[in-house]
Amino acid sequence: MEHLTVAQALLIAIWVALVESRILGYATLTLRFSPLMTGLMVGVITGQVAEAMIITAAIQLIYMGAVAPGGALPSEPAIAAAIAVPVALLGDLSPQEAVAIAVPVGLLGSYLYQFRFFLNTFVTRLMDKYAAEANDKGLVISIMVIPAIISFCLFIPLVFIALYFGAPVIADFVNAISGGRVLHVLEIVGGGLAALGIAVIMHVIGKKSLLIFFFLAYFMSVNFATLKINTVTYAIFGCILAGMYVLFTSKNTNQ
Amino acid sequence: MSTEQNTVDVTKSANYPDPITNKDLMKSWVRWWWANEVPHTYDRMVAPSFLFGLMPTLRKLYKNEDDLKEAYQRHMLFFNTQAIWGGGTLTGIATSLEESRAKAIAEGREEEAPSVDMINNTKVGLMGALAGIGDAIDSGTVQYIFIAIALPWATQGSAWGALFPFICFGLATFIYGYFFTKMGYGLGRNAAKELLAGSKVKTAIDALSVLGLFMMGILAGSYVKVYTGLKFTISEKEFVIQDILNSILPGLLPLLTVLAVYLYFDKKGFNITKGMVYLTVTLVILSAIGIL
Repeated sequence: MEHLTVAQALLIAIWVALVESRILGYATLTLRFSPLMTGLMVGVITGQVAEAMIITAAIQLIYMGAVAPGGALPSEPAIAAAIAVPVALLGDLSPQEAVAIAVPVGLLGSYLYQFRFFLNTFVTRLMDKYAAEANDKGLVISIMVIPAIISFCLFIPLVFIALYFGAPVIADFVNAISGGRVLHVLEIVGGGLAALGIAVIMHVIGKKSLLIFFFLAYFMSVNFATLKINTVTYAIFGCILAGMYVLFTSKNTNQ
Repeated sequence: MSTEQNTVDVTKSANYPDPITNKDLMKSWVRWWWANEVPHTYDRMVAPSFLFGLMPTLRKLYKNEDDLKEAYQRHMLFFNTQAIWGGGTLTGIATSLEESRAKAIAEGREEEAPSVDMINNTKVGLMGALAGIGDAIDSGTVQYIFIAIALPWATQGSAWGALFPFICFGLATFIYGYFFTKMGYGLGRNAAKELLAGSKVKTAIDALSVLGLFMMGILAGSYVKVYTGLKFTISEKEFVIQDILNSILPGLLPLLTVLAVYLYFDKKGFNITKGMVYLTVTLVILSAIGIL
């Protein structure tokens, strides 16, 4: 693939706007916090689903800790994937190189998302006016339609320009500088950053006494790696352990 | 409302609130769920979505136009919470409080009705605590349990790696969010107490925490890749440090990396961006000079 067609870049940009405007309801939470569905969409649009998923999986690893306590996400994984995955497909880049592109793009994306809140704030006056009139039609327009249009005007042109004009340039640039030492550094950073997200989730779950289950699972997965146990099986082990934990602790309180 | 009307059957009057059914609760829940983050603003946060959810319910309750306008306006006041635990429960609680208020007003005993302050304070008082649980459980645990299960499929290039967590998380949260809405309506102001201190919910959170931490352990073991490339040659014998580490305890370096970040958050405060910057800089330096 040499470059994205206008239609491809536009479709990806529309998908990003659907996600970032949150117009698909609470279902957009995973769409926004995780790069996976965006990566899949890029794969479908470019006709390279398998390659796109492999790249996106690497990006997902560094965003494992995207939990947005209080609503603010330090990075926008969906925007990161929307740019980094096509760039990686264009430039035939490794997943690690894609991660290196995703990080700065995701940070820029988070400013864009906050800018959306800022723009929405101008609509508050209109919402107040219609609420005071108990005007249902006006409220639907000011609460749902206008904020959605604002997001679409904000995200579609920017993502389209970044993809259509920016993606080939970034791909060439990364191809020119990487290789050798740089690729090694990217590989280590990509592999090590996964630790960040996992630590974030451990902190968010926040029950220190339960960390033994983390250690148990860690050493199981390291030492049983050759058995190729899949994650569904591990999840079943996890459910059984959770059930046992509840069983034993609730018995204690009954006595 | 005149006293003569009270002696007739006030509940039959055209101004009396319509009864709230499960269909109304579902409608409010779906509307809140849908609007949720769309009109997020800096000054009111997600209050407009909360009003958007309650609109049909309020219209059924307040037949007097002035009461309705007042009700609309009070739900436009600053409000921010998590969609499922906070938004679901509070949609139910607000419906129940508004219903008692509307009925009391229609029966001409406004002084016994839940006051406007009480409705506002209940929302504001509970939104933070419920959001705290919701963020930790939904975005922090449930979401990543599904992602942890599906990630290997993504790594192998399968579309299910993306579809499975999206569908499962969307469905699960929608269903228990509606359950919270119904519970909020049924229990009124006591619902939040039930949710925050109830033993069933506490048990469910504990079980999810165990499962969440377990899946994080599995992920850390399979995907955190930190290894050293150092080797020494001492009297013509080559020592590869990573091989020595493997013979002592396989997976030591990735585990230390995760624990270092965890302890950093624990001791120095929970700042993800800072953690990310420090970890990246450390990894870049160590890998550039050849230690990693």
